[in-house]
Order: sequence, then structure tokens, then C-alpha cells
Amino acid sequence: MTEPSAQGAASVTKTPIVEFKQVSKTYETGYTAIKDVTFCVDDVPDHMEIVGILGPSGCGKSTLLRLIAGLTPQHPATTGSVEVMGKPVVAPGADRGFVFQDYTSFDNRTVEQNIAFGLECRGMAAAERMELAREWIQKVGLDVKRDAQKYPHELSGGMRQRVALARTLVLRPRVILMDEPFGALDPRTRYAMQDQLVSLSREVQATVFLVTHSIEEAVFVGDRIFIFSNAPGTILSKMEVPAPDRPAHVMQREPSFLEIAFSVRDIVEGLEMSDRAGT
Amino acid sequence: MSSAPVFALRTTPSLPVRQAAGAVAIAIVLLAWLLLTNGATPEARAISPSVFPSPGEVLKGFPSLVTERNLVGGIAASLNRVFLGFGLALLVAIPLGIVAGSFRIVGAAAQPISLFARTIPVAALLPLTLQMFGIGELQKIMFIFLATAPFVFHDTARAIVAVEDRYVDTARTLGAASSHVMTKVLIPLALPEIYATVRSMFGIAFGYIMLAEVVDARAGLGYIMLQSQRRGMPEHLVGTLFVISGLAFGIDALFKFFERGFFPYRHSND
Repeated sequence: MTEPSAQGAASVTKTPIVEFKQVSKTYETGYTAIKDVTFCVDDVPDHMEIVGILGPSGCGKSTLLRLIAGLTPQHPATTGSVEVMGKPVVAPGADRGFVFQDYTSFDNRTVEQNIAFGLECRGMAAAERMELAREWIQKVGLDVKRDAQKYPHELSGGMRQRVALARTLVLRPRVILMDEPFGALDPRTRYAMQDQLVSLSREVQATVFLVTHSIEEAVFVGDRIFIFSNAPGTILSKMEVPAPDRPAHVMQREPSFLEIAFSVRDIVEGLEMSDRAGT
Repeated sequence: MSSAPVFALRTTPSLPVRQAAGAVAIAIVLLAWLLLTNGATPEARAISPSVFPSPGEVLKGFPSLVTERNLVGGIAASLNRVFLGFGLALLVAIPLGIVAGSFRIVGAAAQPISLFARTIPVAALLPLTLQMFGIGELQKIMFIFLATAPFVFHDTARAIVAVEDRYVDTARTLGAASSHVMTKVLIPLALPEIYATVRSMFGIAFGYIMLAEVVDARAGLGYIMLQSQRRGMPEHLVGTLFVISGLAFGIDALFKFFERGFFPYRHSND
């Protein structure tokens, strides 16, 4: 009696959180960034996925993120459909948070005011939103007393990206889109940020799409990896990888991890070689 | 240990060296002024005292400039006209510039008119404002308004346009509506640039008022200079010039002082 009902429950909860159907994007210049991209990431309670996206430079990885976010000029897609939680994407919204590679903290706002920005737009009372902001300052590893009143130019690159992460996560989005967020950080800070991303995205129950050039980063944080072909980008390979269950600096030194990373590297380097050869 | 050569291309000397260079330049000009106006009799001087006074004559003429020519009242009259005319320009041009920078279609519509207004020679505004507003105070205020408003509008719109798209994209993905993007992103991020425009345009407006005050003014620094020239008192004329420079410098220093308070995030590391 219990088995059929369990199956029934699974079928009810397995709705796609993000679904691409034959999506292509060609700009007015005639350049095609992505072509016929199709994938589906399900919304499974208590098992939110992190999808690592790898591929050669200029293969349309960022285009994919911006299409999910609904940001122009990538949005709308030229052909195909982009759906989030079963509905077509029409515009950006706080349900799809975005952490950019460039530092995008608002220069005129302190750390806590930056983190409270989205809450302020929602109309939350000042005392309430500042309390939440301070809570998230701690969660991303910053110090409320020392850092809350600092302006962005007083922060290191790692601290700025922690603020960007907190500013997104405080809104508890269903989807988090990250475009090379840790690309400019030193290795130690990068490990710390990877660990933080994994734990915090699980806490807010968000599905993460992480574009990165670091194969180790994608293999570590990802439950799944999409490997893109050369431009016009299309998904060449979808791989399931072990979910992160230990700290980044430990797991990324283990032979089993390195074996997976090397196999992914072979695929990506093969793509880059074929691009250089013009094939 | 070797120090960088002072005359190296695109090399910034240390602050003391820069200050010394400025002091030397002032000393050279003062020395030249002293030499050209030195002599026991007018005939013995390279430049006659009726053409240009010596530094000593300017200093000696200063008390009478204050008492007989009502220097303080002149300063107040000139500043009052600048504050009214320029204040009106800010009230009108900044909001319009924000709208033109935020909505590109409004910016495109305003562009040809803005270009036309900015290319009118400032001297040509004098007969135009006399024709339109008569010869009283209103003409002087409107002269300042018309001479500065197009530039404030243009620079404000440009500052808004210059806010990078990544900030707007970020705000959108944090749930900001268009009104939030304008009030919480575009305006605050453009404000330091707009303030810099206001600061430099105020200095220009202060210079322009002299032009307006040569026509039927009853008071003001331009009026004092014109009267000094007509009465053959070059020491008052040159003395007023120094007062104008001192005032402009003081007002600019005030703008700079307030800038630190308004935009602490731009200067904390200075």
C-alpha cells in the first residue's frame, strides 16, 4: 500500500524548476550564441541541485544564465521556450537571484544596506530588513560589528562576493544563477566560498546554476555538470557527479575526485583544441 | 637612493614639489608686476598707473574699496543673483536631466534642443534677455538661468546614462521595479557626477554674473568694476578682481567640504 503512494508523491513533487526546450539565441548581428539547448532540472524538495556549467570561452554559458534571469539583450530567446517553475520567463525577478562575476555592490550603500536592497524593494520595514541583513552578514562569514557599516570600496574581492551572495540569498530565491562569481578570488578564499555556497544554497533550498572556468569547482559544487560545445553553444554532455559532502580543500585532493576532474578536463580541452583547429 | 626627475614625462612630483612650483609661478608673476609698475613718477614706470596699478597701490586702495564702494553690499548683490538664477537652473535642469537619462526616448527628443541651447554664445544671451526681461533684476537672474541650465541638463542626463548596466541588472534580479531602479540605483549612483557638474557650473555662473552686471546694475561686483573703470580708479578694478578670485576659491572649497559629507564612500580612503 505504501509503495504506490510514495510513487504518487514523487510524481507530484517532480515538477521542473527550470526547463529549456530547443532554445536558440541569435542576435541582430547574426551571431548565434546558443543553439537547440534542451534540458530540465526538477524541483525536488530536500534535494536541490547545483548544476555546474563548463565550456570554452564564448560558448554561450552566460547567455543561458541571462535567459533564465530574463535579462536583456539575451532575453527573449529567438526560438524555443524557457520556463521556470512551469511558467515562461517574461522578466527578471527576485525568484531568480543572480551573482555576477563583476563586483556589483552599490557603491553608495554600506554592506548591510546592500544586503537589505531587495527587502527594501519589497517594502519591508527598515528595522526588520536590517535585522535580516545582519543575520546574513554572519551567515556568509562576515563580521557584523566590523563589516556592516563598511562601504564596498573598503572590502576585498572575497568580501564583496560574500555580500553579493548574502544579498541574493536573503531573498530566498528558488533559483540562483552564478556567472563566474569566484573567478577573481585567491585559491583559499575560493575554497571557503565554494563550501559556503553549498551549505547556504541547501539552507535556502535553491537550485543553483554555476558557470565557471574551473573544472574542479564545477565537479566539487555540482550534483550535475553540463558541458557546452563551442559557439554556437549547445549542451554536449550532461554528467552526474558526487554531491559535495566534505570541505572543498579536503575533497578536491582525493584521488576519486581528481579522476572525475581529469575526465571532465579531457572533454573540455578536446573542445578547445577543436575550436583552435577550426573544426 | 635616487629621486625621480622633476621634468619626467607624465610623472607626478610629490606634493611639496608641486606646491613649490605653484609658489614660484606666483612669485614670478608678482615680480614681473612689481618691475613693470615700479618707479617714483608715472613717466619712470614701464606701465603708467592710469593703465595698471602697482601691487602697493592695490593694497592701499582696499580700505576705500570696502568703505566708499560698498564692496560687501556688492558681493551680497552678486551672490544673490547667482544663487537665484543658478538655483532655478538646478531646480529645472536636474529633474529633466534625470528623466532624459533614464528614458532614452526622452533623451533623444531633448538632444537637438539641448545642443542648440548649449551652442548659443553666452554674450548673445545678453541682448536676448534684455529684450525679453528688461533691464532689471529679473534679466540678470534669467541670464544666469539660461546660460547654465542647458549644461546642467546635459551633464545630468549623461551622468545617469553612464551608470553601468550591471547595476541595473543586479537591481532587477533583486526584485527592483522601474521606479526602484530610478530612485535607488540610477540617481544615487549618478549623484556624485551631478554634484561635480553643479560645482564646476557654479564657478562659471559666478563668472557670468559680471557680464550681466555691466548693464544697468545698481550694485554688484561687476557694477563696482565698471564704475572703477569709468572713474579712472584701476586699483579698485584690480582689487575687485582679487576679491572675485578669492570668493570663487572659497565657494569651491565649501563645495569640496560638503562633498566629503554627502559622498563618504568616495573619499574614505583619501
